[in-house]
Amino acid sequence: MNFENGELIFFALAFFLAALSAAGYLFSLLVKKVTLAKISTWVLTGAFFLLTCYLIAAAINAAGFTNLGSRALFAFYAWSAGAVYLVLQFKTKTRLLGAFIGPLVLLFVIIAAGQEAGKTILPPGLQSWLATMHLALSIVGEILFVLASCAGAMFIMQNSLLKSKKLTSMSRLLPSLGELDRINHLCLLWGFPILTIGILAGAFYAAFVWKDLWTYDPKVIWSFIAWVVYGVLLHQRLALGWKGFRIAALSCVAFLLLLLTYILVKFCSTSLHNFI
Amino acid sequence: MIILIGLNHKTAPLAVRERLFAGCEEENNLLPEFLAIEGVTEVLFLSTCNRVEVVAVIDDNPETADKLKKTLMKKGGLTGDEATCLYIYRDDEAIKHLFRVTASLDSLVMGEAQILGQVKDAYRQALAQNSSGVALNRLMHRSFRTAKRVRTETEIAANPVSVSFAAVELAKKILGTLTGKKILVVGAGEMAELTGTHLIGNKAEDITVVNRSLVQAAALAEKFHGRAAGLDTLDEALSHADIVISSTGAPSYIITESMIRRALSKRKNRLLFLIDIAVPRDIDPSVDNIENVYLYNIDNLQNIVDENIKNRRREALKAEKIVDEEVTLYSNWLKELEAVPTIISLRTKAEGIVRAEMEKAQGWMSSIENGDKEKIEVLVKGIVNKILHAPVAVMKEESAEFNSQDIVAAVRQLFRLDE
Repeated sequence: MNFENGELIFFALAFFLAALSAAGYLFSLLVKKVTLAKISTWVLTGAFFLLTCYLIAAAINAAGFTNLGSRALFAFYAWSAGAVYLVLQFKTKTRLLGAFIGPLVLLFVIIAAGQEAGKTILPPGLQSWLATMHLALSIVGEILFVLASCAGAMFIMQNSLLKSKKLTSMSRLLPSLGELDRINHLCLLWGFPILTIGILAGAFYAAFVWKDLWTYDPKVIWSFIAWVVYGVLLHQRLALGWKGFRIAALSCVAFLLLLLTYILVKFCSTSLHNFI
Repeated sequence: MIILIGLNHKTAPLAVRERLFAGCEEENNLLPEFLAIEGVTEVLFLSTCNRVEVVAVIDDNPETADKLKKTLMKKGGLTGDEATCLYIYRDDEAIKHLFRVTASLDSLVMGEAQILGQVKDAYRQALAQNSSGVALNRLMHRSFRTAKRVRTETEIAANPVSVSFAAVELAKKILGTLTGKKILVVGAGEMAELTGTHLIGNKAEDITVVNRSLVQAAALAEKFHGRAAGLDTLDEALSHADIVISSTGAPSYIITESMIRRALSKRKNRLLFLIDIAVPRDIDPSVDNIENVYLYNIDNLQNIVDENIKNRRREALKAEKIVDEEVTLYSNWLKELEAVPTIISLRTKAEGIVRAEMEKAQGWMSSIENGDKEKIEVLVKGIVNKILHAPVAVMKEESAEFNSQDIVAAVRQLFRLDE
């Protein structure tokens, strides 16, 4: 059975809806109307559904999840970002976070579109479920971290608006400080164990393939730094009771720091993980 | 035509409004009296503390309007001089005024929601008394629709215009949901009571009242179903509260920076919203420099309210456009209404003639085949419709221009529709 056409159609439609929802979210920020953000959430749900269809079709075409191509990998990034955001919508009603997540999903879809269709990440000998799990969980963990930082950035914006004693339409549009802090909390709480399992899966996989748990691969080191920073944030939050502004600011700083090291690693060295 | 006679807070002093309100309340049913006036076919009566209005459908006789006005003045005990307080609007102006009232554009606090309910009550009353007919029914439904459009399409009612509601909105922006949040009221002032009441209305639960006089604290706490405590427990109470409302008459700061820092470390840096509505201030302003603490004094709150009032005025301009649109829609419908009954009776008469003539022809038509009989019937009906088409179209056109009366009268006479 050939799903190649189906795969392409799902991807193209998902691309379209992702672009639409990102535009909708950003526009809602501009005109400061919540209704538009609500509609965009539904559009994003549609994009998420189509991405799911695309991933399933891609898996059928590639005969399994273990040897998906790099397009599917980035589509999975987009899918995870969408999934985490939509789950958060059930817990808190903070549609405006979509103004950050919508464009992020779109970015991943654009990168995915730029990938050569059918190009696989791993040579056939290295494909395994452990590698897939490592990828999937690391991605979800990192997405949660990004989300925690987004909530942090919005917290800082809302905080400065409220401290300036003005209740502007911008501050009416942004979620409440309490909700943003809760999102930061939830994302750290869930992201850390997920990333931990993801990294461990990678380590076991390395031990299994190369008989070595730890390689001095730049990406591995980067991931480890991310994991430590993450852990520190969660520790400050849970053990020291850092809440609100301080943890929000720290989340943002940590995010920028990691983005910087990631870019350095990506462009200044070669690595096993060159596909991301 | 539609006429509206009334007075409101802008045209009449309180004393006059009171008298009229009381006079009308006394006799709680004025509708039959208005209906008894010759020439009045439909009527609705609205009476609130800020306005009294009579909306009626009447004939063109100038005496009818005059009688309506006199009846209203007699009931309200208004003297001849006070007649200047009354405004009289006709047709489009009357429709517009009613729509503006229902949409809360004419209210003392523009955008308040109460008036819509009061107009609905007045309409219900009219329905119960059978004093509302085709024109009024449609008019009232249109006015409710206008009010709804104004509420959803503009932000006229979006932001609070009182200090205590502004405080509630801020609390929600800071803490998120207020469910289960703890409130501390320091001092037993009236303002604190009002704000506390609104917070409870928004599902905040746990209230503690701290006051120098324990008796007063207990009295206020009882109203909130909360706890009362003396001022010496303030330190402890601060560490539990999420929202603090302070309004004591103390001459100096009673909540200092070090107190808040202590409280915050006990509450593990959870967000804290402080409202200082006392003059002189109760809370040291330097408290606002602490992370996760948001301090608003009475001026900050008043500024927000002023901003919101300005915003409502801007939104009112949009609302006026909606009102104008709706007035045009209704008045077009009303104009057409005049021609509609005549068009219907003209068609009925023509159909009657066709039926009668066909029956008469039954005798000689019996020799014709069945299929041909139907063809003849279709032909006859076609001719009749063609002939009627022009007069009907002209009546519709003229009624949209609001001068169908002569043409309608002519048609009724030409076709003997009134016999």
